[in-house]
Amino acid sequence: MANEKLDVLQGTLALMILKTLEVMGALHGYGIARRIEQTSGDVLSVNYGTLYPALLKLEQEGYIASAWGVSDNNRRAKFYRLTRAGRKQVQRETREWEQTTAILARFLAEEKS
Amino acid sequence: MRSVLVWFARLGELVFKQRRDMELAAEMETHLDMHIADGVRAGLTVDEARRRAVLALGGVEQVKENCRDRRGFPAVEAMVQDVGFGLRLLKKNPGFSAVAVLTLALGIGATTAIFTVVNTVLIRPLPFKDSSSLVMLWENFPSCTRCPFSAPDFTFLQRSQNSFESFGIFQNREFDISGNGRPERVMAARVSASIFPILGIGPLLGRTFIPEEDTPGSNVVLLSYGLWQHRYASDKRIIGRAIEIDRQPYTVVGVMPLGFTFPIAPILAGSVSSSHPAELWIPMAFTRTELQGWGNMYNSDVIARLKPGTTIAQADSEAELLSNRLTALYPPAVMKALNVARIKVAVYPYQQEVSGPVREPLLVLMTAVGLVLLISCTNVATLLLSRAATRQREIAVRTALGATRARVVRQLLTEGLLLAGAGGALGLMLARWGIRLLLSLAPPDLPLPQQVSIGLVVVVFVGGISILTALLFGLAPALQLSSLPFQQGLQEGGRSATSGRVKQRLRGALVTIEFAMALVLLVGAGLLIRSFAKLLEANLGFRPDHVLTLSLPLPYNAYPKAAQIRSFYQQLLEQIAALPGVAADGFSNDLPLENRDSEGFQIEKSDSSTINRSLDATWALGNYFEATGISLSEGRWFTPEDRADSQAVAIISQTLARRFWPNEDAFGKRIRWGSSPNPWRTVVGVVSDVNDRASGRARVYMSYLQVSDDVVQENIVGEWRSMNLAVRTRTDPEALVSAVVGRIHSLDPELAPAHVRTMTQVLSSSVAAPRFNTVLLGIFGGVALFLAVIGVYGVLAYMVTEQTHEIGIRTALGAERGEILCLVLRQGAKLVGAGVAIGFFAALGLTRLLRGLLYGVSVTDPVTFAGVAVLLMSVALVACYIPARRAMRIDPVVALRYE
Repeated sequence: MANEKLDVLQGTLALMILKTLEVMGALHGYGIARRIEQTSGDVLSVNYGTLYPALLKLEQEGYIASAWGVSDNNRRAKFYRLTRAGRKQVQRETREWEQTTAILARFLAEEKS
Repeated sequence: MRSVLVWFARLGELVFKQRRDMELAAEMETHLDMHIADGVRAGLTVDEARRRAVLALGGVEQVKENCRDRRGFPAVEAMVQDVGFGLRLLKKNPGFSAVAVLTLALGIGATTAIFTVVNTVLIRPLPFKDSSSLVMLWENFPSCTRCPFSAPDFTFLQRSQNSFESFGIFQNREFDISGNGRPERVMAARVSASIFPILGIGPLLGRTFIPEEDTPGSNVVLLSYGLWQHRYASDKRIIGRAIEIDRQPYTVVGVMPLGFTFPIAPILAGSVSSSHPAELWIPMAFTRTELQGWGNMYNSDVIARLKPGTTIAQADSEAELLSNRLTALYPPAVMKALNVARIKVAVYPYQQEVSGPVREPLLVLMTAVGLVLLISCTNVATLLLSRAATRQREIAVRTALGATRARVVRQLLTEGLLLAGAGGALGLMLARWGIRLLLSLAPPDLPLPQQVSIGLVVVVFVGGISILTALLFGLAPALQLSSLPFQQGLQEGGRSATSGRVKQRLRGALVTIEFAMALVLLVGAGLLIRSFAKLLEANLGFRPDHVLTLSLPLPYNAYPKAAQIRSFYQQLLEQIAALPGVAADGFSNDLPLENRDSEGFQIEKSDSSTINRSLDATWALGNYFEATGISLSEGRWFTPEDRADSQAVAIISQTLARRFWPNEDAFGKRIRWGSSPNPWRTVVGVVSDVNDRASGRARVYMSYLQVSDDVVQENIVGEWRSMNLAVRTRTDPEALVSAVVGRIHSLDPELAPAHVRTMTQVLSSSVAAPRFNTVLLGIFGGVALFLAVIGVYGVLAYMVTEQTHEIGIRTALGAERGEILCLVLRQGAKLVGAGVAIGFFAALGLTRLLRGLLYGVSVTDPVTFAGVAVLLMSVALVACYIPARRAMRIDPVVALRYE
């Protein structure tokens, strides 16, 4: 069943993570994955093998920061939150992504007509 | 900007590597727990929830690995691993490693040593300010190409140009320093005051010359650091004091800094005495006679600094204009006497002038040493290839475990770099030692030898060639090994009759190339050796054994008059002749092998027409011919009866006689030094040619007794007051040195005889340059031969080992031992033969580089080519015979069981 789900499209995972953190505030890795899957209406499946490296990359780039904390059901977990640079990055990437999709949409519309 | 941030972040994580690994593990665990908890909440059993969670998460290790790649610098860490592994491997095969490192060290060391010298002499700028804009100027006319300047020509130049910032003029001299200790003869230079600003070098103490001092009568002097140190004990109070130079007081105005060398040696290349740097400088201060001497005394070198932005080409076209104006300025009578239509001024970069005489040999050596380096690379490549065969299995296992091709190549190249690095380090040490050897062998006209040292440029060069060599020899085996499909590697490693044909072919090709290069080097060395032998065999035209020579100039201030000069030389001759062990003694203004400037002559042909020629001229006094052993082939020697008031006579060399009076008797013909009013001289004798090599063999001898008093006491050129003594002895000439010097000092204790040497020593230093080239190229050729032989031996020995099985089968099937021997020898012969053939043609093309260095041997000398080819093949045959014999003795039973 899980195999039929789509993998996250290359290059979009970072934006999804950032957006999730913008909306939800600080969140741990499992929460982020869950949230992305739910938001996609359970169409997407987050490959954990790519999630953590992606988180590490964002952290190295300074868009997110992490700290150890305690989860709702009392587990020690690492919480990620957006930094100020991250907030700007969300806006920038959102804009770029909207442009891309708009262009792509126009192409696809042409194909149809 | 962000990437810098990331770089720092990575660097930081490298430091806390272990902690981050643990954190990641904890994070994964939490993740898994949460997933399981969610599953349980959704109604699954704990086990089922765990199963699904683990499935969804994927390999925990994989996640960790992916994260690890993001942290630190995986490429660097892999390299550290590679290096570690490489080092372990090299330690495990000490024999292989030692041979490879030594081979490389030999190649790199030799290349570095030669490059260091080339760098100093040809590449590194001269130790003067902005030396690239320094140029030298020459005068050119038919009888004298690349002539130095005369005083009036220089004065004109200085007045009328605009491409040059300023001009300087200088002249090598020798002076006696007397008073204050033992009299001493030192190299010196007359220089214009402008020289020091042009060179951009200031004094260590005091000052340099001011323009006002550049006039006759201002007796000031600058000392070199060395002279100041050894003769005046580094006394700072020397400034302002007077010292005695050629018996005249000169005021010391300054001391030049340590390492200041000017003029730089080869400007007077050819004259052996010029190799020592000047130890003191006096102002040029042209005399009135010099300034009015149109068409005379072309004996001063001119240096200039180009104006900023002026190119050599611009300066050249300016020189062209100057040439025209200068020609117009020359008195017509002088032009006629010189027999020229036009004087041409030429401009050359100073650096090129200084390195000129040694440029060609150094470039030849550089090429040769480059070949040696290539050969050593090839050799190591074959070694690596042979070893690669045994490593096939290891590589196959690595590939099977998931190593990418790039990773394998990187691993192999790292090993190559390790070898090259070790070779380079050892090579650098070899080079230091090699440079010392090189300098001790170096000919005296190598400029600035005391300054040859390993500098930053050279270290960078060594690093560069080490990496380059590693790529050269490491890449072939690396690519080959990594391209094998690993299944094949695993299989072949197991059992096979004959392995890797491709690999064998590559190894064979490398050996062939090696032999081709070795042949080129050996042919070069062979040509030089044959040329050197011819040089030594050449009929010198005099007998150099048992001759003591020295130069004995008489300072103007002590000997102003011709009568004094004549009487001193005459008395000395008589006193020395009376010494026990002396067979004959005589004076001349030059000695065999030390050619001086030539002089203008008029020659009267048999039809009474005259022609003007520039010829070598020698003035002889006493028994000069007997002392030097120049033999008379016709006529008579000079006698004491040939005086100023008797008939003027001359003795000429055979070549001269043949050239101007072919097919007739030169005896009684007439020749004139200079032009009218000088007298015609009748030829009274013909002597053997003195083989001076550098100069022509057409030489005129005149009797010193027949030179006019004006000429003898003349002090500007000073040629007739600085005669050279030649003494033929019956015993060891060196044993007579103290007696001869004693006689000189009994006549004048303040004289400083200079260049006291035996003629054998003079002869040996005259062949120093060819000997240097021959020895070096010989060494390189020998090294090349050695490496090539090791190469072919290694390849064949390895082939035999690889073919043990095959040979065993052949023997078992009834092959004769002789056939097996032939089989192996044929393989070797094919490689060597191809190499020799290729090398033969390459050598035909490359030996042209040697043309200027050869004497009496053609660049395609068949004897050398054939000899070298035979030598190379026979040595190779011996090298092949050893593995071939081993193949022959292979016992089929053992061979078949062996695998």
